[in-house]
Amino acid sequence: MSDSAAAVLHTIRSRRVVRSYAPEPVPEDALAEILEAARWALNGGNRRILAFRTVTDGQQIRLLKSVSPGMLGMPPAVILICIDLDKAAKQGVQLDKHHTTWIDVGTALMNMSLAAHVLGLGSCPVTSFSRAGLRAVLELPDQLQPELILQVGHPARTSS
Amino acid sequence: MSEPSRQLAVTEEQAYELLAFLVCSADVCAFEPHYYGTFRLLDAASRLMGCMLDNGANDSRAWLETFKQEVDGKKLWMLSDRDAYFAFLGDVGGEIGAILRRRALSRA
Repeated sequence: MSDSAAAVLHTIRSRRVVRSYAPEPVPEDALAEILEAARWALNGGNRRILAFRTVTDGQQIRLLKSVSPGMLGMPPAVILICIDLDKAAKQGVQLDKHHTTWIDVGTALMNMSLAAHVLGLGSCPVTSFSRAGLRAVLELPDQLQPELILQVGHPARTSS
Repeated sequence: MSEPSRQLAVTEEQAYELLAFLVCSADVCAFEPHYYGTFRLLDAASRLMGCMLDNGANDSRAWLETFKQEVDGKKLWMLSDRDAYFAFLGDVGGEIGAILRRRALSRA
């Protein structure tokens, strides 16, 4: 096995979900790398109908947490994965019948989680949130349908 | 009989956050596995205890700190050891019942 193959497999095997975060901010270049990893994720039909929102403002994250019961920690950064409904309609995607879009959400999540891991960061996906609540607190435009929250941050020393 | 404490246990801002958490939990409980509902209630209880401690709850403070620590640790068993988690749920009412009785007796 080549060194690069071993490194990739080690990255996959050593990643863990992190639910407790240190308060220190996530560097902007790290967030940019994580988003870039999402851009390279497997994508059904190369449709690219996902949209990403990064939130690093503490007050906004606090509001977001209030409407997201699945968020147990207080991460310094959050990346929201949304489906862009306008793009989906233009591509003729029938979201109620065509499940590839949710697979796309998963592949983006996985790439971002692995990228965060190799950058020394922890992450945790959250799907238990109020869509309506999230739309309201983040003032999301109507065409963005939130599907998944990825919490990102430096693991706390007592990380669970 | 002494009067029960009238000290504010939850600020208005904390109350709004708890309110949002409870309402949004009702929403997500509609699609989560059924046992997550128990977890959301425990998490809400933990948040309430956090508010009470933040605002200087003095009566039974030591008990409250210990109980919050126990709830925060054992609520995560829902993910890793569901039998132990449900056993904890079966016992936890006894803990809160005992402290309610002690507080009532201390006021009598």
